[in-house]
Amino acid sequence: MNPADRQRRLLDIGRKVVETSGADETEILLSESREFLTRFSRNRIHQNVGTEEVWAVVRLVKGKRLGIATASSLAPKTLETAVASALAIAAASEADKAWPGLPKPRPVKAVEAYDAETARASADARADFAAEIIAAARKKQAEAAGIVQTAESSLVIVSSAGVAVASSRTHAEANTVVTRGDGSGYIEGLGTCLSALNGRRIGQRAALTASISRNPQPLEAGRYDVVLEPAAVGEWLQYLAYVALSGKDFDEGTSPLSGRLGEKVTGEQVTIWDNALDRRTLPQAFDYEGMPKKRLSLIRRGVAEAVGTNHYRARRLKKRFSTGSALPASSSAECLPLHLFMKGGTSSARQLVGEMKRGLLITRFHYTNILDPMKTVLTGMTRDGTFLVEDGRIVHPVRNLRYTENVLEALGRIDGMSRKLTLVPGPCVVPTVRIKGVQFTGTTEF
Amino acid sequence: MEALLEQAVEQMQQAGVSYGDIRLREDRRENLAVKNGRPEHIASSESAGFGIRVIVDGAWGFFGTHRVEEAAVEDVVKQAVAIARASARLVDEPVVLAPVDPAVARYETPHEKPPFEVPLEEKLGLLVAASKAMTGANVKLAQAFFAAYETHQRFASTEGARIEQHIVQTGGGIAATAILDGDLQVRSYPNSFRGNFATGGYEYVEAMDLVGEAPRVADEAQALLAAPTCPEGRRTIILDGGQLALQVHESCGHPIELDRVLGMEIAYAGDSFLTLDKLDGFQYGSDKVTIVADATCPGGLGTFGYDDEGVPAQKTPIVEAGRFVGYLSSRETAPAIGRTSSGTMRASGWNRIPLIRMTNVNLLPGNAGTLDDLIADTDDGLLMLTNKSWSIDNKRLNFQFGTEMCREIKGGRLGRIYRNATYTGITPRFWGACDAVCGPEAWGLWGTPNCGKGQPGQTARVGHGVAPARFRNIQVGVKA
Repeated sequence: MNPADRQRRLLDIGRKVVETSGADETEILLSESREFLTRFSRNRIHQNVGTEEVWAVVRLVKGKRLGIATASSLAPKTLETAVASALAIAAASEADKAWPGLPKPRPVKAVEAYDAETARASADARADFAAEIIAAARKKQAEAAGIVQTAESSLVIVSSAGVAVASSRTHAEANTVVTRGDGSGYIEGLGTCLSALNGRRIGQRAALTASISRNPQPLEAGRYDVVLEPAAVGEWLQYLAYVALSGKDFDEGTSPLSGRLGEKVTGEQVTIWDNALDRRTLPQAFDYEGMPKKRLSLIRRGVAEAVGTNHYRARRLKKRFSTGSALPASSSAECLPLHLFMKGGTSSARQLVGEMKRGLLITRFHYTNILDPMKTVLTGMTRDGTFLVEDGRIVHPVRNLRYTENVLEALGRIDGMSRKLTLVPGPCVVPTVRIKGVQFTGTTEF
Repeated sequence: MEALLEQAVEQMQQAGVSYGDIRLREDRRENLAVKNGRPEHIASSESAGFGIRVIVDGAWGFFGTHRVEEAAVEDVVKQAVAIARASARLVDEPVVLAPVDPAVARYETPHEKPPFEVPLEEKLGLLVAASKAMTGANVKLAQAFFAAYETHQRFASTEGARIEQHIVQTGGGIAATAILDGDLQVRSYPNSFRGNFATGGYEYVEAMDLVGEAPRVADEAQALLAAPTCPEGRRTIILDGGQLALQVHESCGHPIELDRVLGMEIAYAGDSFLTLDKLDGFQYGSDKVTIVADATCPGGLGTFGYDDEGVPAQKTPIVEAGRFVGYLSSRETAPAIGRTSSGTMRASGWNRIPLIRMTNVNLLPGNAGTLDDLIADTDDGLLMLTNKSWSIDNKRLNFQFGTEMCREIKGGRLGRIYRNATYTGITPRFWGACDAVCGPEAWGLWGTPNCGKGQPGQTARVGHGVAPARFRNIQVGVKA
């Protein structure tokens, strides 16, 4: 079935549920997807999976009491059961005096996010892609592990307030950790189109890092200037969004930005925004309430400007419209900006390293977690290529280190950024950045 | 449903698979969250589908569908076989499965009060009362949680296994968040991140006495705001059950997963320092440390009858008096150590393949008595209470944990409260520094309902039995 027909069918199903629910207000989110993921390790495919799934999330309101139910089938009987469950929940709940009603429809801009070839990609096509990565690793006497993933999905939101929106998109993603002896390197690529990714190049670049990261030397913990490659920057940005940029947390006083919009919260060089309409990310036309996505300035020149909201939080924060940041109603997190961008600078990644007197070049982080949300203190490890740089040149690889750092403060110490922005999982579109004096608090044995 | 299973097995055999299985699964869950005395987020979820896993030409293929109908079976088998054939193009050695006797069996979690049959109003009533009992000038969020999970699964394999399981898991908890002058402190009960969980019914949550514990939880959250930051230094520490359970999870549970050891997870969560050469010889910890993986443990969140390959639940020695002796394994990985599967393959749903997952990875009790006894036996140290944050490197060596609360111990007695306490270490050195584990009277089970692994991502519910334990000369805090 082509995506347009699928969207029409889902819209019809959604309208029927809305018309017959018996609630004061009804919203239904319907998704239908086919996802395939080929996983390889030690230069061979060891897991290879596909699924076809549908999901319905029903949000009902009766007397300002809310009920939410999720089902994994679009069969009429299943949807009737979901509606009944949501009504029962609403009946047992308590009226929310602040409930503003479901949002009314607003114009949604179409985005280009669907590639028919990616939607049709076969298991053989994914194996071919994995073979290219593996061949590049083998050339360096190395071993590759990673994924090749393709997916297509359609999303429809219909509500009794008049919302009726539909979109379809594809997703392609590949990454690899290449290991050579005790060295390892990591490269990833993602987008809406598999043909835009290059398996050989992904494999070659990871294999190169694996080769030069062998025999890492121990390095004492302490403060070091760092150049963070995009995967590391993206990880910090995602965590920053999680702890600081949710309208729900902001409203409840648990965000470090609560009550601080308009204040300088980090360095002037830091500008972060959300924009799901930008072709450089994984585009999305509307949020999970069917509200339009738009460019949202979050931190501009170090000053906090906004947080991501759904309709409920927007109204509580005295805003007429949400920022288009609603999550599915089944998520208690409610809202979050999901398509982050960080403004770059004027350098190249090579220049950022070349200008560093003494510091570390970091490929990516591992197992980042939050130590103090109000101070945006995170901890995590480096992995897959950490190098000591002296006088602008890589001296040797070093064993992985643990950082414990206040991320808003650290971003305030950025003293150089690449012009080029890179799409990394999140999705985040970010530069390579150089930061003064990042705090490393521990070391490991490899 | 039986007809669909038999049809799938027949279709797999006709397709020429060397091995195939089908899991037909229905999942139900309920999540209740109450905040500041009123229901905040109440959601129910139902899911049904089946997944078919095959070995063709020595390689794996899997396809899952929501279409629970006999008409879908042929197509799903075809898709799984096509995927396996593509895998076979990049497989040097064929998959070989460790043998298992095909079981024909039924299993059900023992439980008294089916959690989905308890009226919603009753469950909400308990949470609202607990939430309202957490008060204080600076307590800004008083939250109470309940969750229940129910899985009906039918498993059939081309080897003749036919297994039906009904798993019921229930949990809940409370949390008070105190905020003042840009600081935020959380205190939870019985555990952080939405409470504690077990296989069992609503009786498990009723026994928690959430309402009775609520005032203490709120008081402690407020007290933390005024407490000094835990000083940095090398100290003796005692970990309470909740924190120790996560310590076991991260620094023992994950590194003993044999698929990680064999590199199957290296690109995502990483591999393991417990390489094959360490089996049966490596000193993982002190002689006080004995750990088992026990899927048969009554009430454990990781308790079941059979894993998702049809292997019976087992109790497997992992660490014996400090010596590393066993892995969590599967039928595919067990031959690498010359053993049979330890029965730990579980999938998070019909739409995912089974992976090696922790069952109940339990630190067995020692002889140090109760927690009070252990405190009394400690001259100078810190008591770390309830996990707040966690992080560990990709070989599971360097870890750092933060706890909600810390108490000074001086002369065998509890002293002042500290906030923002963290400790860090290297796994085998840390366990080597364990000089006391409390006894059976202090031993309890902790459920970890959110263990992430695999691509596509899966969340497993696993368990850990522990008694509080003491560790000497541990780095507390970070050197600025």
